[in-house]
Amino acid sequence: MNDDEVITAVREQRDKVHSHTSVDQIISRGRTVRARRRIPGAVTALAVAAAAGTALALGLTGVLGAAPARSTDTIRTMAFTLVKHANGTATLTINRNVLLEPGTLQSALARDGIRAMVTVGRFCSSDPAPAGWTKVMSFPGSPADPGPVRAVVINPAAMPAGTELSFGNFQLANGAQTSVALIDTRSYTCTSTAPTAPPPDGVMIG
Amino acid sequence: MRYVHVGTRQLDFAEFYRESKDACLFAVLVNVGDRDVAQDLVDEAFARAWASWRSVSRHPAPAAWVVRAALNASISRWRRRRREVSLPEPGRIADRAAGQEAAASPLDPQIMAALTRLPARQRQVVTMRLLLDLDTSRTAEVLGISPSAVKAHLARAIATLRSGLIPERQQEKSS
Repeated sequence: MNDDEVITAVREQRDKVHSHTSVDQIISRGRTVRARRRIPGAVTALAVAAAAGTALALGLTGVLGAAPARSTDTIRTMAFTLVKHANGTATLTINRNVLLEPGTLQSALARDGIRAMVTVGRFCSSDPAPAGWTKVMSFPGSPADPGPVRAVVINPAAMPAGTELSFGNFQLANGAQTSVALIDTRSYTCTSTAPTAPPPDGVMIG
Repeated sequence: MRYVHVGTRQLDFAEFYRESKDACLFAVLVNVGDRDVAQDLVDEAFARAWASWRSVSRHPAPAAWVVRAALNASISRWRRRRREVSLPEPGRIADRAAGQEAAASPLDPQIMAALTRLPARQRQVVTMRLLLDLDTSRTAEVLGISPSAVKAHLARAIATLRSGLIPERQQEKSS
């Protein structure tokens, strides 16, 4: 049995499996997904309107127990947690043991007013980097030599016009690493080589 | 204009769904082993893809996004239920998958078992390269590894599959 025969045998198995779910059923379920995303905000609004209505809020939470772990201030997925603070900043934590869905993180960041480009297997940066990245991102340790960090606090109000944050996620043998840098949206380059150290004008989460 | 926009999005998504649903289902089945669970995971992942189609459609490999979303959801489910349910052995997973598919078109239990026994990284590469038909560079991009690593993992996976299949096939012939 040569390589081509092995590949053919595997693909023959693939061709025997068929999904019988119609596209209309998928779209209908997709609408439910969208509605589910909007529910936590509605729950919060109801709780506020009820003022001292803690009991009401708890009741709804029980009914909606299957909803994703997301409130007005927190978006929590298997891959990351994004907590929005009252002062407008947001804390991002990435789970290095779970594959990251770039679209999900990008949407979550956008919700908090953070302009971002999230890529997997690719990292983009500007040279020279826009000034002021240390005002945009803060984290434990020295900005000059931060090393990989577990979480980063992002201040979208400090992002200069024409900039966004570049998140480059790489799956490495020992888990995921995500490099983050502030980039000029009109001038940046990308590489598919995983950075081995935090970028000089940014941070590495992992 | 709004109706035109929505209609266009649905057309694009519908085409993508028709072209990739079977391959995505099989890719997830190889990884989770249960036909019904795989179907539900893939349906949910496609539903999420539709709900975020503007960003998912710009992903370098939307089918890979769907499979990854389904497998992430599978991990999440497993973590929620691990105190209640123990996972079957890989061989039994393959047998169950084959048995459940038997009524429609029988899967080869030996090949399914060999696929499910592959190390995780090799199975990921097989999923992208052989089941979703991504090329080496796109697979490398999606998995965040180098193209040479993709080639190495694929070569090892094929060698493992071959060594796992030959003895059983020979036994079949001799019996």
